[in-house]
Amino acid sequence: MAKPERGGWIAPTAYLMGAGWYFATCIVVGILLGLWLDSLTGLEPLFILLGIVLGLTLAIGGGIRMLLPFMKRFGGGANGASGGGE
Amino acid sequence: MSRFRIIIIAVAALAWIVVGLLVARGPQPEIIVPAEVITKVGFLNISNTMISAWAAMIILAVGAFLATRTMKLIPSGAQNFVESVIEFLMSQLEDIAGSKNARRFFPVIATFFIFILLANWMGLLPFFNAIGKTEDIGYHLFHEIEEHHAEHKPFDEEIAHASGWLVDDTGIGLVRPNAGDAHFSLGASPETPVSPEQALDKYVVFLAQTFVDFDPEDHGAVDDGHGGFEVTAEMLTAAIAALNADPDAPKLLDGDHDHGVASAALGDELIVGGIDFPGQKLALIIPLFRSVYSDVNNTLALALISFVMVEFWGFRTLGFSYLGKFFNFSGLIPFFVGILELLSEFIRIISFAFRLFGNIFAGEVLILMLTFLLPFLIVDIIYGLELFVGFIQAAVFALLTLVFAVMAVEHHDEEHEGHEGEAGHDNMESQGTPGQ
Repeated sequence: MAKPERGGWIAPTAYLMGAGWYFATCIVVGILLGLWLDSLTGLEPLFILLGIVLGLTLAIGGGIRMLLPFMKRFGGGANGASGGGE
Repeated sequence: MSRFRIIIIAVAALAWIVVGLLVARGPQPEIIVPAEVITKVGFLNISNTMISAWAAMIILAVGAFLATRTMKLIPSGAQNFVESVIEFLMSQLEDIAGSKNARRFFPVIATFFIFILLANWMGLLPFFNAIGKTEDIGYHLFHEIEEHHAEHKPFDEEIAHASGWLVDDTGIGLVRPNAGDAHFSLGASPETPVSPEQALDKYVVFLAQTFVDFDPEDHGAVDDGHGGFEVTAEMLTAAIAALNADPDAPKLLDGDHDHGVASAALGDELIVGGIDFPGQKLALIIPLFRSVYSDVNNTLALALISFVMVEFWGFRTLGFSYLGKFFNFSGLIPFFVGILELLSEFIRIISFAFRLFGNIFAGEVLILMLTFLLPFLIVDIIYGLELFVGFIQAAVFALLTLVFAVMAVEHHDEEHEGHEGEAGHDNMESQGTPGQ
């Protein structure tokens, strides 16, 4: 692995930390939204299940969109993310 | 490393901790999530995090002015430092966004980074969370009891903000090491409400316990089954006598039926109109300065600015075709993907706001708790960690705004190609310098 350039670790570290929080937020927001709608409509557990599905879809869909450019930029090409610690 | 050296280091570390516990231990922290309001200007609450934010702004503005006042072709001193920071940030931006976009996004992204970094690091200064105005919890508790009495409303839950430290200060105070602390508990719940008169009795006994080492068990305290005890007339009389015996202890001021709370145990024999604290007070120090981003309002404001800027750049570059990313009617799957994309835009605001808030607030709580539990050695290590977290969080915020901005200004067609595996998609790569 090539020697990291000056400050070369900052961008990948920051990016991955940001992506992690994005996953968590999607799932938590989906669940909270579901709980709120359930308490509003009394249709428990319909909306919490829908919320979980929506949260996971957003997390995975958005996550892939965030990580694809990352893997191309920092992942060392064909080796995917194996070189992510550049 | 020789065994002797290890022993020396271990003893020194232990001594450091013991010295810390003896001379620098903070009082038990009162963790308050919302930023504390220091003063009010009209309808506007001025909170301690706002004051810190203004301080950071002033430092940046004055610093930038002084560093660039007499600019030279060959920089030195402050100008040199500022230029190297700007160059470093510019090179990072160019690496990711390409030179054209980097110059365009630089003012906003660099402001985010520098301001968040300064705000986070300022939060680690020793006078943050240490100097503040004294809020009299002692008076506050009596006032609560008085209000409930006036409204004939029993307590069906514990009084909020019922903990404080024993401090001498009034007005502006300093959180003193080794200050005693006390927490007043009514033992009230919806099932076991406590009348204002009973609350008064409990409060008087609590004051005697806190200020003159009065022990209710010496006066027949019997557990009432909710973790508290029933205050008897004898116990209350003894508690008042103990308070009166010490000139520095709190004193009960006489009241009457119109202005005062009568005791439950002593009836009309004891009507309290107020409490006077001639010596130490039961109070909290509300800090004048608190880390800017330990307040979710500030992180949310920043997240909204980031969101608005990204959308602005998107519209400015692509015009109304930017909306095509979110509303794509060319098929069911593109439509669904567009809606997900739209939702993601809004989720980002929450994600941005809570990421920064969570990290900084958690760090602040950690430092306060460790200053109380194990001052000096462990706190020093955590300070180092927080310096790193402050830097990384500033970088995360700036970098993610940059990446979302790059994604927003890329043409939808390019993006589509990218999804099919073409290298041209990735603006982070295609427009950037080959920095790998």
